[in-house]
Amino acid sequence: MLDVNIRDLTKRYGDVAAVRGLDLHVKGGELVALLGPSGCGKTTTLRLVAGFLAPEAGEIWVGDRCLSSPAAVIPPEHRRMAMIFQSYALWPHMTVAGNVAYGLRFRGVSRADRDRRVKEMLQVVQLEGYGSRYPGELSGGQQQRVAVARALVVEPEILLLDEPLSNLDANLREEMRFEIRRLHDTFGITTLYVTHDQAEAMVISDRVAVLQAGRIVQIGTAQELFEQPRTRFVAEFVGKTNMVDAVAEGPNRVARGGLRLQVGATDLEPGTSVAISIRPHLIEIVRGSAARDAGTDVNVLVGTVQRSSYLGDGMDYQVEVDGSEIVLRVAGPTPPRVSVGERVMLWIAAASCVPLAAAREGPQ
Amino acid sequence: MERSAPVWGLAVIALALLILLPLGWLAYMSVSGERGVTLANYIRVFADPRLQTALWNTVLLAFWSGVVAVVIGAPMAWLSVRTDLPGRSTIKSLVMASFVTPPFLGAFAWVMLAGPNAGYLNKLYRSLTGAEGPLFNIFTMSGLVFVVAIYTFPYVYIMIANTLELIASDVEEAAALLGASRVWVALTVTLPLVFPAILSGFILAALQALALFGSPAILGLPAGFHTITTQLWAFFQYPPKVEMAAAFSVPLLLATALLLLVQKRLLGRRGYAAVGGKSLQRRSIALGAWRYPALLGCLVVLACAVFLPYGILTKAAFSQAWAQPMSRENFTLAHWSFTFLHGGTQAAIVNTLELGLLTASVGAGLAALLAYVTSRKLVAGHQVLGFLALAPIVIPGVVLAVALFITYTRPPLLLYGTLWILFVAYLTKELPVGYAQSDATFRGIHVELEEAGRILGAGRLRVLGEITAPLARSGIIAAWCFVFIGVIRELSASIILFTPSTKVISVVLFDLKEEGQFGAIAVLGLFMLAMTFGIVVLMQTVLGRDVLGARSSGSATG
Repeated sequence: MLDVNIRDLTKRYGDVAAVRGLDLHVKGGELVALLGPSGCGKTTTLRLVAGFLAPEAGEIWVGDRCLSSPAAVIPPEHRRMAMIFQSYALWPHMTVAGNVAYGLRFRGVSRADRDRRVKEMLQVVQLEGYGSRYPGELSGGQQQRVAVARALVVEPEILLLDEPLSNLDANLREEMRFEIRRLHDTFGITTLYVTHDQAEAMVISDRVAVLQAGRIVQIGTAQELFEQPRTRFVAEFVGKTNMVDAVAEGPNRVARGGLRLQVGATDLEPGTSVAISIRPHLIEIVRGSAARDAGTDVNVLVGTVQRSSYLGDGMDYQVEVDGSEIVLRVAGPTPPRVSVGERVMLWIAAASCVPLAAAREGPQ
Repeated sequence: MERSAPVWGLAVIALALLILLPLGWLAYMSVSGERGVTLANYIRVFADPRLQTALWNTVLLAFWSGVVAVVIGAPMAWLSVRTDLPGRSTIKSLVMASFVTPPFLGAFAWVMLAGPNAGYLNKLYRSLTGAEGPLFNIFTMSGLVFVVAIYTFPYVYIMIANTLELIASDVEEAAALLGASRVWVALTVTLPLVFPAILSGFILAALQALALFGSPAILGLPAGFHTITTQLWAFFQYPPKVEMAAAFSVPLLLATALLLLVQKRLLGRRGYAAVGGKSLQRRSIALGAWRYPALLGCLVVLACAVFLPYGILTKAAFSQAWAQPMSRENFTLAHWSFTFLHGGTQAAIVNTLELGLLTASVGAGLAALLAYVTSRKLVAGHQVLGFLALAPIVIPGVVLAVALFITYTRPPLLLYGTLWILFVAYLTKELPVGYAQSDATFRGIHVELEEAGRILGAGRLRVLGEITAPLARSGIIAAWCFVFIGVIRELSASIILFTPSTKVISVVLFDLKEEGQFGAIAVLGLFMLAMTFGIVVLMQTVLGRDVLGARSSGSATG
């Protein structure tokens, strides 16, 4: 299985750089999601990999083939890739079987083999017997499956997906996430998956690359991104979080007004300002306010519940911490343990207070 | 460099050859004298009082035709979109019939209807009242304005109807809920919303009048007055004064370009015209007692534009003497046999059809290619390409003919005297229509459909052939039909570029008028109309869509 190596990739539209010096290595057989808000350069990156765009700088390698560089761009038809588009891009004038068989014609597959492989692939995507229909006669979910079949049947070296689920309704989208993951586990094709939906990225991919302003700001497994976000952007884009702007007091201590926190770091420069991310679900909420020693690795804060919202599968509290104007959001289980106005204690492990790099805040 | 590059390159060169070369020659000729560059041609042209009169006549004609077109077209559009007028869809079809009627044919018909002596309506008037003089004299400036306006008002009608259809009733109802009366709503909400459309419809109608050659030649010349177009034509009567024609073309060219620029600005700002979202609900306004008077008004206009002209043409086609009452003795088929069996007219019909087929095929192909290149941004400077493809809109047919005459009566391309110069003229003139149609077609085909083919292994040309072309087919067929219809009725460029062996139907019609052969004119005219309507109906049934509705701003015709 071939790996994809992207080095220092840059693409400009006029004066605006859509992708600026992007580096990414996708291991053979790996599924990497490119995650980011609109305009972050994720789709441009995908289209550069597909060969629809030529880079101003940088290189794209697949295995030992250099596919794109400012000097030469191998056209899409010679890249041995397949792509699934946001609009599905099914050809309305061809039948489902015609759509799926199209790519096989350029791979020296005999007519008999073609028919057999198309049939098999339609079986894989659960569209047996739909071969003679036209795309216009299918539902959105079925069209999506045809697009998947058309891309997989050619056994591409690399598979590219550009927000393939964004046109489906919520239920179907969830179902298709697992479907795509299942197909990836079956075929093991090296895959790049573009999405702006963090949950989708986390379910589908082996690793998630978060893009901001044309660069990858962090890449890692879903758990790494969620628990150890490196920047404020990543912390806020991937999941909900509490952001506390504080000043370092020691290598692993920060303060904000009357609030003091031990954090999951050992190298803070005293006196520098630092943003701390605390995930709501990593805070434990306990009734009462009697000071209790919880050990050195745990912060114990005392506060008052300001708001309590019942969300069905959990509680969402807002707690004002004593001696500061800080309000923390806390996720708790149902049924509710505390009510509005009650005094509570918040237990937060030091490791759950993640200091964020100050660099590269916001799009430049 | 892609393998497909030469194909795009060829399109670029073709375009430059078609448009830049003639316009360059025109500009050059207008300032060339015996001793190098000079402004003498311009000075001679603009100092001549007769030519000044022609200029002024053109201004009058364009302005008043625009005004009358708005006065007719705006209420009719409002009535047929917004009210419960009976027979709205029939009225719309009849307006379209007037839209596709060649204006010069209407002018011929009105000569028979309202000529001061033999005109049918005037004779009727005299026999009814016993009066001595005519009721109308069509050979006047006001007669000309009338005949031009009844064939240009559809431009206003289409502009305004399209805009009205984009205004949801709730915009008006919101005002009504706030306490405004119906008249006040119309004045303060509806009218301002349609105002850009009215103005831009006026400009389109005026532009048509500006570029028209046939009607002023048929109605103005006998009355002894010229417009710019007829004057340009006169410059080519022996001995031809090409330099003066070139200099005299420039103001017409500039005026057209300027007006189109203004019109584009107006439409560009139409964003505020309440282009509503999904709930485009419109409730018809009840006309009450005004229903039938309003209908009568519409029918009078349509009678002038369609019923009366078509009626008199049909009568003339079957009468020995068109001015005499229809009777057994007066009935004849001689005009039909003359038209279709006589060498001269027969040759013209063949020429017209040949040119129509050739121009439509090459034109639709070229337009499709250009539209593809520009909509897919295949070459650097594709915007320039798109601009050039639409540029001939600003070139009135007569001016184009002057430019082509200058370009192709000299080596290396001696096309004058052959059908090829007409082909080049038609191709250039109809390119914008074909291009606009194709451009809309390609923009409607999602790029991802092509990219899906590329990434699966098909080269660009293969994708073009197997994916894009089948999807674009009906749009390109529509472009073909538009070009064909445009070509078979073309007069204003043909009248300068034809030679005795390269006559086309419209030119023969003009010759027949000199001979007073109104029977043959009627037959040829009906033949031309039949072809036009045949193609429109064919398009609408085969392609299954409202073809003419899509062509809200067309090219100069006539």
